[in-house]
Amino acid sequence: MLNKNISWKIINLSPVIFLYFFSISEIDTHFENFFEILSFNIQLIIIYFWVLKNPSVLGNGHIFFAGLINDVILGFPLGLSSLTYLVISLVATYVKNMSVHTTLTSDWFTFLVGLIISNSVFLLLISNFSEINISFTEISYNTFFTLLFFPFFWFLFSYFNSIMSTQKNV
Amino acid sequence: MSSSRDDFGIAFRSALLQKGAAQKFSLVSLIILAIIIFFLDTYNFNFIKPLRSIINDGVYRVSLVASAPTRFFPSLSNNISEIINLKEENIKLKQEVENLKFKELNVEYLSNQNKNLQKLLDTDETLMQKNIIIAKVLLDKRSPYLHSIIINKGTKAGVLKGMPVLDKDFLVGRVVETNYMSSRILLLNDLNSRIPVTLDTDGTQAILKGTGGNQPILEYLPEEYIIKESINIFTSGKDQIFKAGTPVGKTNSKGSVTLFSEPNQLSIIKINLSQQNKENF
Repeated sequence: MLNKNISWKIINLSPVIFLYFFSISEIDTHFENFFEILSFNIQLIIIYFWVLKNPSVLGNGHIFFAGLINDVILGFPLGLSSLTYLVISLVATYVKNMSVHTTLTSDWFTFLVGLIISNSVFLLLISNFSEINISFTEISYNTFFTLLFFPFFWFLFSYFNSIMSTQKNV
Repeated sequence: MSSSRDDFGIAFRSALLQKGAAQKFSLVSLIILAIIIFFLDTYNFNFIKPLRSIINDGVYRVSLVASAPTRFFPSLSNNISEIINLKEENIKLKQEVENLKFKELNVEYLSNQNKNLQKLLDTDETLMQKNIIIAKVLLDKRSPYLHSIIINKGTKAGVLKGMPVLDKDFLVGRVVETNYMSSRILLLNDLNSRIPVTLDTDGTQAILKGTGGNQPILEYLPEEYIIKESINIFTSGKDQIFKAGTPVGKTNSKGSVTLFSEPNQLSIIKINLSQQNKENF
């Protein structure tokens, strides 16, 4: 019984753990060795999916702190990634409030909207208030590949979500 | 029409202000907090500098620990696609090989590190000078936007913003952020990097500009100048930041510059403490 409780808690915490891990570790999702322009933002996918499907496992505070950590690691002004993450979380919460049943297609489309808004906020802030130069092309490629990989993670996380639901019911 | 606008307003307000058992903070409060932190950090208020420095040092150390497993399996991500396609019979054998590889890599990593350090200590005369320090690369997270590394030396060791960073005798970048026990190095291939250089054939002056890719380019060359292949590039020292004559790279057939030191392969670097930045970053 105790083991089950612990394993359920670990499973329940895994989206938060993954979010922090991808923000703090040296693991990156920039595969320039395979294909120079290939990079995607897995944190945005994690946040969007879990806030939309099961917000109880991913608190706003965690999203905020993961963003701060990401800024420190990547050398961006503090608060920039937090803001980007919170914006996509806001879109996901709005979509959740407005819809009863969602499908992959609807999630994919609304993710595109969220991605465009959050990356626009990122670009707007960094180009107007920071001295850091960022290539618009790199952001476009990153946005494109993040959108492209969304369905794959959608299936993966949906499967994981169903395991979480089963564990909860047991 | 009015009803749909009301629905939008209600859903949006709810999304911003909603709190519950699982959400201890509302989105609007965190968004405001993030904006405040962003502007405090961007406009470099005095009280936030030491705070940021402490946070940086702390997060870099935690990140180093969190990244430790990935350092021992550098080829793991490269081989994921291959591993997925292997048959079940091979999985057990692979695991055994992986275990052996892990041990071998561990031994190889330590012996290589030992050799490198010994080599540096024995042969590098510059180390005898008091103004050169050696630092280890703590983190090398490849961001699609910024190309920088974190090293394990900071203001405690005398590192200051703007100091040139070398790999062996080749320039690799400069210090752009210093903390008490760590610093951030902006690499030459970063989009924000600009270095005054000279071409060895005729002393032509240019600016080496990072592109975000692996090979920086030359800008502000004389009009109608044709870049030939295999011309060595050195720092010109015109900015009073970098010592003149430090080798940087050589031109290639595409007209860009191939750096002498591969920016993605840095593990131990040198910092020249005698050259300080006069520029205000």
